[in-house]
Amino acid sequence: MKIRGTVAAALASAGILLAGWQTGTQAGGISTVASNTTAAGAPGATGTGTSGSAGSAGSSSSSGTTGSSGSAGSGPSSSSNASGTYKGTTVQTRFGPVQVQITVANGKITDVTALQLTNTDGKSIQISNRAAPLLKSKVLAAQSANVQTVSGATITSDAYLTSLQAAIDAANL
Amino acid sequence: MQLTSSPLPASTGPALKARTFECMGTVIGLTLPVGDPAEGQPGPDELTAATAVVERLFRDLDETFSLYRPGSEASRLARGEMTLPHASVQMREAYAEAHEWRLLTEGAFTPERPDGVLDLSGIIKGHAIREAGVSLLALGRRDWCLNAGGDVLVSGSPRPGSTEPWKAGVVDPADRRTLITGFALGGTNRHHAIATSGSAERGEHIWWVGSGARDAGFVQVTVAAADIVTADVLATAIVAGGTRMLDRAAEEWDVAVLAIDADGSMLATPAFQPVRGA
Repeated sequence: MKIRGTVAAALASAGILLAGWQTGTQAGGISTVASNTTAAGAPGATGTGTSGSAGSAGSSSSSGTTGSSGSAGSGPSSSSNASGTYKGTTVQTRFGPVQVQITVANGKITDVTALQLTNTDGKSIQISNRAAPLLKSKVLAAQSANVQTVSGATITSDAYLTSLQAAIDAANL
Repeated sequence: MQLTSSPLPASTGPALKARTFECMGTVIGLTLPVGDPAEGQPGPDELTAATAVVERLFRDLDETFSLYRPGSEASRLARGEMTLPHASVQMREAYAEAHEWRLLTEGAFTPERPDGVLDLSGIIKGHAIREAGVSLLALGRRDWCLNAGGDVLVSGSPRPGSTEPWKAGVVDPADRRTLITGFALGGTNRHHAIATSGSAERGEHIWWVGSGARDAGFVQVTVAAADIVTADVLATAIVAGGTRMLDRAAEEWDVAVLAIDADGSMLATPAFQPVRGA
């Protein structure tokens, strides 16, 4: 049970990390992460934890309940010798499926890594909000059709007359 | 040219209608889904009334803050005929907000020109858009798109009652008649505002920061944020502050950024990267 408590606590922590990361970068999407934490796996061995139901991206009906998952760590983990790596459930995010793996040594989390960070093309993608190079050919046409408004550097009233925005406004007059 | 959303059949729901007016040296446009008032949708009269409210608000702020009007309070401050402590509450609040942004951006955004003249034009348009948004909500308008010279704030959806976002295009600085990408505003996206600044605006309110000449290479920066002032100020700051300011903004604010270099290469935070299936 100590092992279980540690793993549960660790996964819950990972869940909180993940949730914190998500709230920082995603539209009110993930509502619940690892709220019902249980762990499966032989004591002392590498096991697989199941971190409850993962909220799907886009459903924002309820506020996060990750706070409760933190209480899962109230077990007497200080005396535990749990070691190994444990994987959380895959969570759908705006960046694609994300799965967190934690490494536990002598009852303490020594590492948290994101395992699955791939889009449907199978390419790994970044999860931070850092800017990365973007190829013009990747975005042109694909996302620029059918807009209702246009953002650009401030234009003068004269320049407006020949702008895309003017064409859109004229179409809606 | 497919520039607008596919027109909705007139009988089945509201269609987008726009009204524009000139102020602050540019054109401001308000777009609403206009339908049948009997079905609870705003009609053409509501659009006209809402536009009038927005126009009044922009004109009042322009009267006070325009440096192109010799008699404005801003002009009197610039000529030294008045000092800030004796300025109106409105002026002092705008200055305080601009100054706070200067601290937050480590000087990349500044309310003062190199010659020392106070120039709040870098924040007043965003402020006007923000205030207009508050007024529109107070009028009971839930679904609208307000575009002031390329800076955009939206509420609700172009399709009332749905979660469909407003779709904003971003102008290609190399060819302003084309769009370089699109960005969904509102709907399920927490970002409701998008603003773009360009180095061509430097003469107005963007000045290079420090001596990092190589670093300050963006010709156009677009920022999406929850509010228009943040989007507008950070877009300006990143044009002036280069990649260092870009990294800081992406790290410290909840924003999406698309920055375009002089050679046409682009840097984008994840929200501007192509999404699956797109």
